Amino acid sequence: MVIRATDVRLTLGGVAPVDILKGIDLAVADGESVALLGASGSGKSSLMAILSGLERPTSGAVEVAGVDFAAMDEDGLAIARRGRIGIVLQAFHLLPTMTAIENVAVPMELAGAGDAMARAEAELAAVGLAHRLHHYPAQLSGGEQQRVAIARALAPRPRIVFADEPTGNLDAATGQRIMDLLFERRADTGATLVVITHDPALAQRCDRIVALADGRIAA
Amino acid sequence: MTGWSLAWRLSRRELSARFRGLRLLLLCLFLGVGALAVIGSLAQAIDRELAARGRVLLGGDVEFAVSQRLADAPELAAMRAAGRVSETVRMQSMAVAANGATAPVQLKAVDRAYPLYGRLTLADGRTVGAPADDTVWIGRALAERLAVAPGATLRLGTATFRIGGIIADEPDRLGEGFTLGPVAIVSRAGLDRTGLIQPGSLYATRYRIAAKGAPAAIAERFERRFDTAGWETKTRDRASPGASRFVARMGDFLTLVGLAALVIAGIGIGNGVSSYLEARRDTIATLKILGATSGMVARIYLLQLLAVSAVGIGLGLIAGIAAVPLAGIAISGVLPVAPGLTVQPGPLALAAGYGLLIALAFCARPLVAAGRVPAAALLRGALDTRGGGGWRGIAWGLAAGLPVPVLALLTSARPGFTAAFLGATAGALAMLVAIGALIRAAAARAPRPRRPLARLALSALHRPGSRTVSLVVALGLGLTLFVLLATIRTSIDGNIRRSVPERAPALFALDVPPEREAEFRRTVTAIAPGATIATVPLMRGTITGYGTTRVADLATIPEGAWALRGERGLTFSATLPAGSTLSAGRWWSAQEAGESLVSVDERLAEALDLKIGDPLTVSVLGMERTARIASFRRIAWETLGFNFVMVFSPGALRDVPHNLAATIDMPAAKAQRVTAALLPRFPSTSVIEVGSVLAQVQDVVRQMAAAITAAASVAVLSGIAVLLGAIAAARAARSYDAVLLKVLGATRRQVLAAQAIEYALLVGAVGVVATILGVGGGWFVVTQIFAFDWLPDWGVVAATLALGAGVTMAIGVAGSLPVLRARPAAALRRM
Repeated sequence: MVIRATDVRLTLGGVAPVDILKGIDLAVADGESVALLGASGSGKSSLMAILSGLERPTSGAVEVAGVDFAAMDEDGLAIARRGRIGIVLQAFHLLPTMTAIENVAVPMELAGAGDAMARAEAELAAVGLAHRLHHYPAQLSGGEQQRVAIARALAPRPRIVFADEPTGNLDAATGQRIMDLLFERRADTGATLVVITHDPALAQRCDRIVALADGRIAA
Repeated sequence: MTGWSLAWRLSRRELSARFRGLRLLLLCLFLGVGALAVIGSLAQAIDRELAARGRVLLGGDVEFAVSQRLADAPELAAMRAAGRVSETVRMQSMAVAANGATAPVQLKAVDRAYPLYGRLTLADGRTVGAPADDTVWIGRALAERLAVAPGATLRLGTATFRIGGIIADEPDRLGEGFTLGPVAIVSRAGLDRTGLIQPGSLYATRYRIAAKGAPAAIAERFERRFDTAGWETKTRDRASPGASRFVARMGDFLTLVGLAALVIAGIGIGNGVSSYLEARRDTIATLKILGATSGMVARIYLLQLLAVSAVGIGLGLIAGIAAVPLAGIAISGVLPVAPGLTVQPGPLALAAGYGLLIALAFCARPLVAAGRVPAAALLRGALDTRGGGGWRGIAWGLAAGLPVPVLALLTSARPGFTAAFLGATAGALAMLVAIGALIRAAAARAPRPRRPLARLALSALHRPGSRTVSLVVALGLGLTLFVLLATIRTSIDGNIRRSVPERAPALFALDVPPEREAEFRRTVTAIAPGATIATVPLMRGTITGYGTTRVADLATIPEGAWALRGERGLTFSATLPAGSTLSAGRWWSAQEAGESLVSVDERLAEALDLKIGDPLTVSVLGMERTARIASFRRIAWETLGFNFVMVFSPGALRDVPHNLAATIDMPAAKAQRVTAALLPRFPSTSVIEVGSVLAQVQDVVRQMAAAITAAASVAVLSGIAVLLGAIAAARAARSYDAVLLKVLGATRRQVLAAQAIEYALLVGAVGVVATILGVGGGWFVVTQIFAFDWLPDWGVVAATLALGAGVTMAIGVAGSLPVLRARPAAALRRM
């Protein structure tokens, strides 16, 4: 299993604590694609944050690509993400001060890759943005920005790609094309894919659907 | 690729696009470093100039000065044994042009050896020495005043001289100190021709020596041998003690301004960097998601800050170098020398070092906080307040900041003074931070107002991420500086106004022969029948001993005992002088007047711990005279009349050859006619128009006021920059609220009212503290550093405070106008 979560719980807030996740058990096989489906507030984004090492659980065990995430601090998680995990977010979150190619190169540069720029260029060409290498995010359309984000997530060839509502900020047609691209690139690279969505149609394209409700796995 | 080089690459990419956000850092460092660079360079340039040119400014390696006499044979022999000697005689006199125009002059007679060092040059380019016996070199101001040119004639005393040239550079001008009127140089024989030197005439004789040995040793040997003869000595390393004292005072003040500007700049830097890094929060979280560690994030932003700091420091140094000659020109009247364009590596390196340390100290906490921004912050937005600098940030800040006070103390001429200032500043800042925290806590606990706008204003003071504390510190500093500047400025203005007495005599006359006093009075009253003429005997002398103490044995002059420095005017009187009141002892009776008694200024008595009955010894004309102290007097110094620290009984000094000094009280319009009538009859008498002397004194004080205000303005400018920065940072947080309120139906006026309420609450709370701090600081600068009287104009101070508060509120509210002017949809899209 590339992901194994056992009795994961997350409580946030100091004065009035809120239980976000209430004991999640989940295992994802290498190369599998999984959809985390659920309504707003069901805890799916928080689960993804824990599985991708963006957040540490209040309790429970998380093992991702053979690494025990629960035992790591913030910097340890950052290093653990390098080369293992790619993340695509709903709001793209490109670095506004860097060009498309620089955005894609950053995770590989941080991981110490010497050929980061060349690989970034190739990945951008693979997502159809060879003509937009030196454009800044503000000069790109929403769809183009999300394609840069996909290229950034996949360029280091991670074992797992997390996508949090990747089409949420896009119109239906563009969203469709982005999902096609994401699945296509994932197939090319053989990465495990975890997609968070509340769109049942999108969830159907995955190998497995895990439904969340009120911080628990419902199905 | 190493961590640092990757950090630099990433840092550079962002910096090229986001430089604007660091403008406050740039501005604060520019102002702080610029202020320190100019202050340090100016002080060092003056010091070096005084040290390098000491022997030229003094006119020799050693100078021995005495009043109303020449050196006797043994004294002269002792001087000649020490090196080559030049004798000059200086006295106050009147110059009369052929057309009858008159002007007071500083008459200086020089011998063939003059000048021992430096060159006396004339406006026509000639380098000269003493003029021929019938010739005079005159200062440019005298030529202008009398409208005369070379070739014309001039009468001095009873002799007529031909003007041989206009003086361009008098090498020992600074060593001469404050003079009434421009200089006129004649030869020693020329002076004898004038007939001005008579027994009792007031003149000073100076012997400058081009020494063969160490100046200090020569001076000490001479002083020891002739310790009762009233000699005043100076050596080339202390060519102009008066100038040095002012430079030292100004140096203290400027150090204070520099440190203040630096600390204020630090706060601005901290605020600016915090805002900048907070705005980068999403970027930092994204970098973290992509695998950047806290250390990498901290390195990226540290390099950015260092790059911008280097630019700010560089610009500050350039501005500092450029400002030195400008500052020199602006305050030339109060500086002993005029430094030109000068690059002083020491002070510049120190200023740059301070700038860098301050930048690092105040950036440390926000940088550590930036490194600790969690990746999950991207998911939770601005309300996720995790990732503050914590103790680690404070520790780094202290580690970087600690060298600043250490460096300040090590490089200070007065470490105690610097330590006190640093302590007071730290205390004031801690107080402002505490008040900010208090306001925040009080706002959180206060009942929620019913009106939504008031509620919004109150909650803005304590909600998560509120900038209340930094805003209070910036506001407090800004308003404190406004009050400080207002108190200093109005106090000095008050001192200038006070220096013009309500009732001043129109003329002073020196060297009136006592036997011709009646004729003198008749000459005056013939033209001004109602004139009031007061005369006193006047001679010069030095205090050589008091009680059981010999002044020559004192290692340092006691605080407040300025009368021990050099010569003082001495007089004797049978009656208590006008303007004095007895504070202890009693005035001598007619029977006692024949004894040797003296009445002393009560402040000097206090400084020297004198008691009634103690002996006091003065040296007059090379002879010691001892009198018993009979009384202490309180002197009304502000009256412009004859005020003497020591008034002797007639029995003590009557037999000493002396002349009279006179004040003539009459309509100022008649002053010129009286002067013109007196001069032909009393050629050895100097008549001085009080108005022009006052103007000369006021001019110097005005220049000092301008210098002090200009220097303090640097700190105020830094304060304004910090204030603007803090308001801008707070405004960014308010913009979101403003747009949402507008979306929800609030009018622009309502939104602005909410912000005005918030600022009014802050200004109200901070105004009181700022007034206390500003007034306290102003008092210290005015009375302790510059020894002026404390005369602030409270109306102006209050108006300045109100204006500062009003402007602060206006800036705060006006900053939101662009957001409010835009349509809500457009504004929302930009957020």
